[in-house]
Amino acid sequence: MVRFKHRYLLCEVVAEDPRCRRCIDERAVTTAAKGALARAYGDYGLACCSIAFTGQVKYLNAYTGVVLLRCRKDFYRLLWSALPLVTHLESRGQRHPCFFHTLHVGGTIRSCQKFLIQYNRRQLVMLLNSCTNKEERESIQKSLLGCFLQEAEEEQFQSGEEEDDCAETD
Amino acid sequence: MSQSSLYNQNAKLGYSTVAINHVIDFKEKKQEIPKPISPSELLPSLPIIPGKLKPIKIVTRLTLVVSDPSHCNVLRATSSNIRLYDIIAVFPKTEKLFHVACTNLDVDLICISVTEKLPFYFRRPPVNMAIDRGIYFEVLYTPAIKDSTMRRYTISNALSLVQICKGKNVIISSAAERPLELRGPYDVANLGLLFGLSESDAKAAVSTNCRAILLHGETRKTACGVVYTMKKPQPVEEEEETLPACKRAKTQV
Repeated sequence: MVRFKHRYLLCEVVAEDPRCRRCIDERAVTTAAKGALARAYGDYGLACCSIAFTGQVKYLNAYTGVVLLRCRKDFYRLLWSALPLVTHLESRGQRHPCFFHTLHVGGTIRSCQKFLIQYNRRQLVMLLNSCTNKEERESIQKSLLGCFLQEAEEEQFQSGEEEDDCAETD
Repeated sequence: MSQSSLYNQNAKLGYSTVAINHVIDFKEKKQEIPKPISPSELLPSLPIIPGKLKPIKIVTRLTLVVSDPSHCNVLRATSSNIRLYDIIAVFPKTEKLFHVACTNLDVDLICISVTEKLPFYFRRPPVNMAIDRGIYFEVLYTPAIKDSTMRRYTISNALSLVQICKGKNVIISSAAERPLELRGPYDVANLGLLFGLSESDAKAAVSTNCRAILLHGETRKTACGVVYTMKKPQPVEEEEETLPACKRAKTQV
């Protein structure tokens, strides 16, 4: 099949300041990633990872700080090795120190979504252990129960899925 | 305290063991080697790694910055507090000391300077001897994150090391002082690709090589790992009787 293959990097933006989460937006993330690429690899790096530029950030969740970046399969190593060099995000004139923690690399958006669902479930369980309020505890327990019930329903109606190309190795 | 948040961040990123580093620089007036801080003093309860049920393990490490051959005598002294540290690392500043560290000294790690141009070139014979003895070379990555000139020194020094040692026996560690300077294990393995390591070497640099260093440090405490005594917990009596006699013999270790 003749089609362009991509790699999707699922990253979490980790910051100390809780206010930083509200300033995460698409432009801040792209400028930070491009800045790191430029500093590490120069013009070559900027060019390699800007081919699919208009669709770079595919998913952004400001509450949890999760970002999904896309790049070509041949150059994903370049982008991945430049991501640790990001030290802060800038938006609307404010600088917030943070870093990118890569959670998963997948070949399709669906595989990244599956991983993200499992990851969020694990995070909910951890939050349950560390919550202080009774109301918080009850709301987290309710959402946990809700997602386990939904998982049981999904397994009943699941048909065979088509193959993802994320199983392909270089 | 920011130190406890460092350990929390480590556990959150997925690291299962953290080493606290004490650096001793002999250039200043003679310093006594202090006793290592035991981890239970720092934190009342260790943070738990997400995904596993165990808390993180904290080990202690000593780094000696040596610029003179007389500083190495500390390692041979039997009465000092050196025995209490789990890992011992040395940071040689001259070529002669690098040679001595690779061939004679009883250390686990040799640190490679990343903040300045290398004062000496690596040669193959001492590096190969160090690899045979099971000594690892350490590259730091936090200066590379902070500053552009440091990044150039880090990459050039790391590249020359990897060219000589062919990617074996290298570990990458962070000298992080704040939780924001840490990076996750997969990201660090990718930084290893920047330093010239192959993909499997880079992953080993973050996982298997570090475990090997811990074991190497343990052999120093226990006569080269030949004799190691450990108290065996007494098995519960009722469980033993329910098993038939032939199986009972096999379960006793």
